[in-house]
Amino acid sequence: MIYKILLTIWMNLIIAAVFLYVEPAAGFPGEVSRILFFHVPMAWVATLAFLLSMIASSVYLITRKVNADFLAQSSAELGFLFCFLATVTGSIFAKATWGSFWNWDPRETSIVMLLMIYGAYFVLRSAVPNHEKRRVFAGVYSILAFCTVPFLVFIVPRITSSLHPEDTLNPAGPGMDMKTLIFFLGSLCAYTGLFVWMLRLKVRMLRIMDRERRAFRSNF
Amino acid sequence: MKSGLGFVAAVNLIIWAGITLYLIVLDRRLKKLEQRSGMDVHYEK
Repeated sequence: MIYKILLTIWMNLIIAAVFLYVEPAAGFPGEVSRILFFHVPMAWVATLAFLLSMIASSVYLITRKVNADFLAQSSAELGFLFCFLATVTGSIFAKATWGSFWNWDPRETSIVMLLMIYGAYFVLRSAVPNHEKRRVFAGVYSILAFCTVPFLVFIVPRITSSLHPEDTLNPAGPGMDMKTLIFFLGSLCAYTGLFVWMLRLKVRMLRIMDRERRAFRSNF
Repeated sequence: MKSGLGFVAAVNLIIWAGITLYLIVLDRRLKKLEQRSGMDVHYEK
């Protein structure tokens, strides 16, 4: 419980500091650069979640422990959620900076492809009625889906010309000054903590649902 | 400080408070469900 209270206080401090203490970055209109203290951590958490889903799926396929599948599913769901939020915040930034919510920029296009790839993961899970087969198919798909993540997140936006900014969050110029960096890393830690909290809740929920399902079946 | 930033910060803090409250309530409900279904809750403190 203590880490949840600390996380709450930490996130409050970060939000207050991002808006009231840190200066906006140079080269961007108005205060729009402040969204990057939320947008980048969300994208980071999405990547982390997809990685965790792939690892948990591998563990499940090797050991056939159901908890690993719960972790894989929960991670994928939260990764999808944070990826969607990163897309939305990126669109808001795009509107404020370039006058349009969507430009089919390589970065924007690659994140939509990532959303579709992991959306298909959930379609696959819901399409297989047998629990054991569902876990195996989903596990294999999660590993294959993560193979696209490094390419779509890190490589594609860098091998093509893109509107997506590279050096941001510094009021003085390119790069990041110490004050901005500290709060940026703080926001990164806060979002990671939030992801861990939500992940644990989701896994517990799946365990309860699985237990109730097995109890129901054994009674009939 | 530019005018309006305080308002935006306040809105964000309220949203965050709502998220935290929701997660805490969910946590407690899951704990009750775990106890009711007789699950081992030692892994979650």
